[in-house]
Amino acid sequence: MARVELSRITKNFGSLEVIRGVDLSIASGEFLVLVGPSGCGKSTLLRIVAGLETQTSGHVSIEGNVVNALSPKERGIAMVFQNYALYPLMTVFKNMAFSLKLSGVPKDERERRVLETAKILRIEELLNKKPGQLSGGQKQRVAMGRAMVRKPKVFLFDEPLSNLDAQLRVKMRTEISLLHRTTGATIIYVTHDQVEAMTLADRIAIVNKGKIEQVGEPLEVYRHPQTQFVASFIGTPSMNFLPSSFASQLVLPSGAQTIGFRPEHVCWSESGGRVKVGSGKVHLVEPLGSNAHVHVSLGEHAVVTEQEMSVAPPTDSAVDLWIDPSKLFFFDREGASLSGRANV
Amino acid sequence: MRKANLFPWLLLSPTLLVLGMFVIYPAIYSVCLSLQHVDPFTQRSFFAGFENYTELFTSSEYWESVSTSFFFMLYTVIPSIVFSLLIALALDTNPFIRGFFRTLFMMPVAVSTAMAAMLWVFLYNPTAGYLNYLLAVIGIDGPNWLSDPHWALVAVAIATIWKELGFNIIFFLAGLAGVPNELREAATLDGANAWQRFRHVVLPILSPTLFFVGVVSVIHSFESFGQIHILTKGGPAGSTSVLVYSLYRDAFENFRTGYASAQAVVLFGILLLFTVVQFRVAKKRVHYG
Repeated sequence: MARVELSRITKNFGSLEVIRGVDLSIASGEFLVLVGPSGCGKSTLLRIVAGLETQTSGHVSIEGNVVNALSPKERGIAMVFQNYALYPLMTVFKNMAFSLKLSGVPKDERERRVLETAKILRIEELLNKKPGQLSGGQKQRVAMGRAMVRKPKVFLFDEPLSNLDAQLRVKMRTEISLLHRTTGATIIYVTHDQVEAMTLADRIAIVNKGKIEQVGEPLEVYRHPQTQFVASFIGTPSMNFLPSSFASQLVLPSGAQTIGFRPEHVCWSESGGRVKVGSGKVHLVEPLGSNAHVHVSLGEHAVVTEQEMSVAPPTDSAVDLWIDPSKLFFFDREGASLSGRANV
Repeated sequence: MRKANLFPWLLLSPTLLVLGMFVIYPAIYSVCLSLQHVDPFTQRSFFAGFENYTELFTSSEYWESVSTSFFFMLYTVIPSIVFSLLIALALDTNPFIRGFFRTLFMMPVAVSTAMAAMLWVFLYNPTAGYLNYLLAVIGIDGPNWLSDPHWALVAVAIATIWKELGFNIIFFLAGLAGVPNELREAATLDGANAWQRFRHVVLPILSPTLFFVGVVSVIHSFESFGQIHILTKGGPAGSTSVLVYSLYRDAFENFRTGYASAQAVVLFGILLLFTVVQFRVAKKRVHYG
């Protein structure tokens, strides 16, 4: 377990500024998820922590020691790659024992540690197989095993579940969560999937265009997004945004240009102080089982709502959208969240 | 049904025709000729049984050619593979210079053997050549490259390596492009240094390419003719008379067609033997993912 600090990290590729002054502190034993859209710089940030990429400025420290000048090996970290990066011509056993062999760990000790890790991950029967003979989920377990066997100070995960099908992804998510609970290790995990971020993280850091927009506990970020980008990125389906003119019956916080509301907070009828934000026509209903996503056109704007399947209106029906004013979010021209409530 | 069976043969027929005319028929004809004496003047042939082979295997000159060919293979194949692999590794880590140097190293391959050999004739010239001039600059008295029996085979080997290097580099670069960067990074994180990354990660993935380049280089070395013909004509004192050159002389200078054909058949046998041995070794050492 180790504390990781990133201080004023910047990274340029030629004239392209990929990371723009990132400050981030990850507590010992914490599971931090870096989440953001593709190309936002989250993987570059992870690679800087690993030492696979050198930052243009700023410093990385692990356990209070600045590790800028240390090689990846000397930083005491292990990384699980998106496409597993298992050595294709080595058996699973050799893949897992490779780092121990290079560190000069005696053969008996190597065998003991590999078997111990394999047992935790339930991959003992795979030890003599080569990566080409394994399924995606098995490869993922082996990649995790290879990282665990080294007993690193920090685990880095770079979109490790992206190549798995939806069902396996849910299963592996649980495994990673268990790994964190079992080892108590510090984990930095990169993903573009906000469901993964929400379910796994102690804290999430939302990265956008090379900067961290917000850091916080998943539910805190979901309930109190500090920017319109965070509000749109966290939550599935994402938050709806409409010009503030749609809430003309309310007294809005000063400077509010945009109102936002979550799909699940939209109702079809007036009740308990709800206000009407508009009337529209249902143009698509996506049934998901118990719930449905109902897409409503409000003139040139579109709104997605999440409803119980039993109350989802049919396609082409006319509906009124009602919402509790306390569930509304307000954003200024620059997309910053405005505190304060709307008054009727 | 019958049409469907004939159609593939129809498609194959141009290839089969060319292979038959220029490879299979001459090969069979060579075997037949090797069992005959052919009169150089009347072109009449007489069945000679294994006489040509008996003469061949009892000829000290022939065994010298075998030995020369073997040394020529050692002088060319091993350095060529080592240098081309090192150059490919260097170029692989420098994408900015890769394109330029890849073209540069490929240029000798594109130049005809005769042109390349003429270039080396000038370079090796003991009085006006650049090679000895450059050696003299660093205080070394260069040998008489093409006239000294101790240096002639080395000189031809250097010219051959220079000519073949680009060919091997291209294959190694293609092989290295198939090594995912994540594997190198994973090995770096596992604590592997540059040599360990190459030895344990890159080399096993590269082994099929290495094997292919090895087999082709051995065959090329045994088939070298053009540069020897222009640089030394098998001399001095037979020091560069490799198997193919000895075969050429017997076939086209001494007009001993049957005897030369026996040499061709034995050369084929030697190449087959080398290739089989390489495949046997490859079974243990070459990994196809």
